[in-house]
Amino acid sequence: MSANSVQVLANAGKGESTRTLLRVIILLLIAGAAIASRLFSVIRFESIIHEFDPWFNFRATRYLVAHGFYKFWDWFDDRTWHPLGRVTGGTLYPGLMVTSGAIYHALRALTIPVDIRNICVLLAPAFSGLTAYAAYLLTNEMTPSPSAGLLAAAFMGIAPGYISRSVAGSYDNEAIAIFLLVFTFYLWIKALKQGSMLWGALCALFYGYMVASWGGYAFITCLLPLHAFVLICMGRYSTRLYVSYTTWYALGTLASMQIPFVGFLPVKTSEHMPALGIFGFLQLLAFLDYVRSAIPSRQYQTFLWLFASGTFGLGLLVLVVATSAGVIAPWSGRFYSLWDTGYAKIHIPIIASVSEHQPTAWPAFFFDLNMLIWLFPAGVYLCFQQLADEHVFIVVYALFGSYFAGVMVRLMLTLTPVVCVAAAIAISNVLDTYLDARSPNPEDHQVDDVSDGTAKKAAKSGLKSTSKPVVGVYSTVSKSIVATAMTAYLLLFVLHCTWVTSNAYSSPSVVLASRLPDGSQHIIDDYREAYQWLRQNTREDAKIMSWWDYGYQIGGMADRPTLVDNNTWNNTHIATVGKAMSSREEVSYPIMRQHEVDYVLVVFGGLLGYSGDDINKFLWMVRIAEGIWPDEVKEREFFTPRGEYKVDADATETMKNSLMYKMSYYNYQSLFPPGQAQDRVRGVRLPDVGPTLNVLDEAFTSENWIIRIYKVKDLDNLGRDHASAAAFERGHKKKKANKKRVARLLRVD
Amino acid sequence: MKTTAVFSAVLSLLTLVSASSSSSTSSDKGTSRVKLSSTFKPPPAFKNANLVHVISVEKNYVKESINVVIENVDKAAQDEYFLPFTADQISRLGGVEVKDRKDASVRPFTVDVVEYDLASDTQYLRIRLPIPLKPKAQQTLGISYYLLKAYSPLPAAINQDEAQFLTYLFSAYCPSVYTTSKQKTEVKFPSANIPDYTKIPGSEDSKDTFPTKQGSKLTYGPFEEKPAGAYEPVQVRFEFTKPVIHVARLERDIEVSHWGGNVAFEERYELYHRGANLSQLFNRVKWAQSQYYNPTSYALRELKFPLRVGSADPYYTDAIGNVSTSRFRSNKREALLEIKPRYPVFGGWKYPFTIGWNSDAKNFLRKLAGGGYILNVPFLEGPKQAEGVEYEQVDVRVVLPEGAENVKFYTTIPDSSITEANVGVHKTFLDTIGRGVLVIKARNLVDDFRERELIVTYDYPFMASLRKPLIVFGSVMTVLVSAWLLGNVELKFNPSKK
Repeated sequence: MSANSVQVLANAGKGESTRTLLRVIILLLIAGAAIASRLFSVIRFESIIHEFDPWFNFRATRYLVAHGFYKFWDWFDDRTWHPLGRVTGGTLYPGLMVTSGAIYHALRALTIPVDIRNICVLLAPAFSGLTAYAAYLLTNEMTPSPSAGLLAAAFMGIAPGYISRSVAGSYDNEAIAIFLLVFTFYLWIKALKQGSMLWGALCALFYGYMVASWGGYAFITCLLPLHAFVLICMGRYSTRLYVSYTTWYALGTLASMQIPFVGFLPVKTSEHMPALGIFGFLQLLAFLDYVRSAIPSRQYQTFLWLFASGTFGLGLLVLVVATSAGVIAPWSGRFYSLWDTGYAKIHIPIIASVSEHQPTAWPAFFFDLNMLIWLFPAGVYLCFQQLADEHVFIVVYALFGSYFAGVMVRLMLTLTPVVCVAAAIAISNVLDTYLDARSPNPEDHQVDDVSDGTAKKAAKSGLKSTSKPVVGVYSTVSKSIVATAMTAYLLLFVLHCTWVTSNAYSSPSVVLASRLPDGSQHIIDDYREAYQWLRQNTREDAKIMSWWDYGYQIGGMADRPTLVDNNTWNNTHIATVGKAMSSREEVSYPIMRQHEVDYVLVVFGGLLGYSGDDINKFLWMVRIAEGIWPDEVKEREFFTPRGEYKVDADATETMKNSLMYKMSYYNYQSLFPPGQAQDRVRGVRLPDVGPTLNVLDEAFTSENWIIRIYKVKDLDNLGRDHASAAAFERGHKKKKANKKRVARLLRVD
Repeated sequence: MKTTAVFSAVLSLLTLVSASSSSSTSSDKGTSRVKLSSTFKPPPAFKNANLVHVISVEKNYVKESINVVIENVDKAAQDEYFLPFTADQISRLGGVEVKDRKDASVRPFTVDVVEYDLASDTQYLRIRLPIPLKPKAQQTLGISYYLLKAYSPLPAAINQDEAQFLTYLFSAYCPSVYTTSKQKTEVKFPSANIPDYTKIPGSEDSKDTFPTKQGSKLTYGPFEEKPAGAYEPVQVRFEFTKPVIHVARLERDIEVSHWGGNVAFEERYELYHRGANLSQLFNRVKWAQSQYYNPTSYALRELKFPLRVGSADPYYTDAIGNVSTSRFRSNKREALLEIKPRYPVFGGWKYPFTIGWNSDAKNFLRKLAGGGYILNVPFLEGPKQAEGVEYEQVDVRVVLPEGAENVKFYTTIPDSSITEANVGVHKTFLDTIGRGVLVIKARNLVDDFRERELIVTYDYPFMASLRKPLIVFGSVMTVLVSAWLLGNVELKFNPSKK
């Protein structure tokens, strides 16, 4: 629609400044739409940080704002990974926190009293406006059509693939990283086109910012060398390429090494080797280029072959030796899982246990990109039509991005920008052709082929077969049909995006919403109820043991030390917690004592039918624990002989005796009339006699039972083990009553 | 609302108590403390001719009132009457008010804490009579005060569905530094369930023992003449199956906006439950069941804030965000905010939270004839609970518009409760010189003072109200002009000119 109006006005022959003004207004509107469509959760719920990882980022940002940059840089956090702690300052990407901290201080300097939480919540939507602008710039480098850039900006603004990680409250690294990704690519294209050192340096600067913000920077680190390599293979080596690439690589690598978490990785790990290799290769090419200009071509041929094969062999040898000697780290596990999707499940269950690391299902592409996904190949095809250096980039990016998006759900995010750009090129091409109000006049056209800008563009960049029989479309009917169809598609796209955003991506997951019979919204706030209880009514250094999913939330909302959290840097520690959860009480208790655990927190959805609870995640705990203690924890024992995962009366003894099972169902049956205790998630009836807990006391259960907190008992005062002490307590009352009566009788006598 | 007559009457009072307005330094209001030599002993200049001591333990603070006929037994006219307390009591004492029972127009009585020896366990409150009492003359004083954190639960830990019992320790004879000819002590309880109380023998000749119980009231006495310092410890234990709410700190911000025509309130509570702890940890099943069968519980479930009519846009949050369990009923007659804590608050638990709301400035703010403004807001607007609420520390901040000057205030809160009042500067919302902010700190208040007023007057010149728009306009223009100038600078090498 925006393209429509631009076209109309452009045809009306308005001046350049009007177009610029119009473009600025359209871009502002797109930015506004991008921001507005991300605010569903704020309007429905409140300004709240979503999910899990954002809670850590939020906590880190608060730390940064409260203690200053240097303290943040040196932050050793002893409130996570108890008793190990975490060198947080050196193991995070500080870009996000520093960005929000800078915004916070800037606003404070203007004496605008804004809460740091609100900055964090609204950072992602604000940056999505900038991303739309960056997409506009990138697309404008690809095609001279004025509408393509605006379309790309609009697509980028509302494509669900990007919204999924940038709704208000989704305060994660990706919030700013996608903007940096697109903008770095734009600067790279700019640098490459002009062979400009200034643009190359800017590109390196934003690359550095990107490295500081997101681990996905490796995508750029691999894509730019790949682009350069493809260009070289196509025989397109030029000094432009040399200048832009070497500038980017030298400055960018130095910039990336300033981040403590990255440090010397760029010269040590395999992921970064392509960039280094291409850097060296370009030096060789430049040298050869120089040699060629200096010596006769015949000798040059031989020289070239000898030199090239020698260098290649040498380089390969060095790489193999260095890798086997351990100087260069081999590919990391997460990286392997990019090539073999089954790798993680076998070797690193902790990576496989994260849903966003799963391979993408096909419908997800349509869900996240809607019509863009079928316009995407058309756009790529149009790039092939022109195939300048920058179009090669789009082609390479499209191939690379598609593969990774297919391997890992999360990487849909990196695919989205190129899909938006390619689709915008395709659509603008169609619109430019079909929205031209004038009927082409063959004679006219043959004479002044060059005169009209838009007509020529359409003819040149359009499909060759259609454009050849003279410049296209005569009939107003076909024009209007195609234009209407495209408009309808665009409108449907907007509808789809809004629907997806509203239904799939706007739930904070900390707060659940349900509807009351009268249609009003009822908020289920069990997480915060329990976290607030922990925060207010337990000792400040009370250690909480829970599955790692909730580590960041406990740290952020309950402000209590945790054993494991979403950082997952220490698999053994997580496996220890998994073992404690999946073993019998007598085995778990020493583990909990050794780790000074005061409270254990489990998530139980049985009463409410909340399916994301710990019993459903339980098998991952078992698997991860089994990875370290294969003799003590066996996944097989949690399945019935018929291979079913059951929690009712048929559950295996190992299952029934596991701490997790006991904590989830402890005292649960007393909420129901006898024989009617039901688990609404798994849809089964539970046995009448619930599990007994000897080493734990129930300390708090939230209103809808989603969170259950248990206190770890101290050692028994009389030196008994907990089982006999608890048995004594239970049997105590009867005995005591008997004794009393006897004693009284005796005394009377 | 108030009539102008009331305002003018109040205005005449304003000169009595006014914070130093122009200077932003802390004006020491004397903090109601008098320093005397460490060997100080109150002179036995008075005699208590007749004394009735009423102790009310109906709410979760103790309200004591002493109605006493004092008689000057000295030869000279006297104007200083002393009341003894223990050091511990003095720190928990608040809201002292004294009046003449017979003639309300006799005022003001000033009340000060005597500071003479910090190590001594006996501390004195000095009441200065407005007119010195002549020898042999009598005057009837009504002294009332509140004691916070007065009870201890017994048993100290109970199950979550049990009844809560509190104990209170006091003296059957009213503590006094003077001889008391005749006195009795009445104790009022919230219910007739008083399982334990100390029995003391009556007078030497009669055989009956004290106290006499009458419904929910115990009466010790009447006693015959007791010397100064007579003490007879008495402990009562009574049922109080209601939350013992203690607000350790209340920060109350009142922000006046002339441009917005709005007065914004925000209150931050640090709330504790001082009742019996749980003997067994919290059991959700039992709790859910007791909601149906036996709803009386000593856990705090709900707080009700009757706000001023016309209050709007309330919010209720805590450290981790919005709390959805609140209701706001607003119509022409009431504006009732009902909030529930995230979890039922049992003894020993705490629950800090924040509430806030807006109100039309017309409801509180009025322009005076002389060009100044007068703001009349409640000093305290805490929850109204049947069991009462006690506040250990109350910090009220009134943020006035930028450029307001000549700030004066007057409040009907007892003077002795206010520990500090000053005018500072607070910068917010694009301020350049900052706003005047009146900070009043008070100690040991209870919800009986909910309706007490805080009246602030200030001058706000017209030019001050234009300051911000002009500054914002000016700075935006500066930015635009400088951007335009910078845009005109040619940075490129221009080969054609070479």
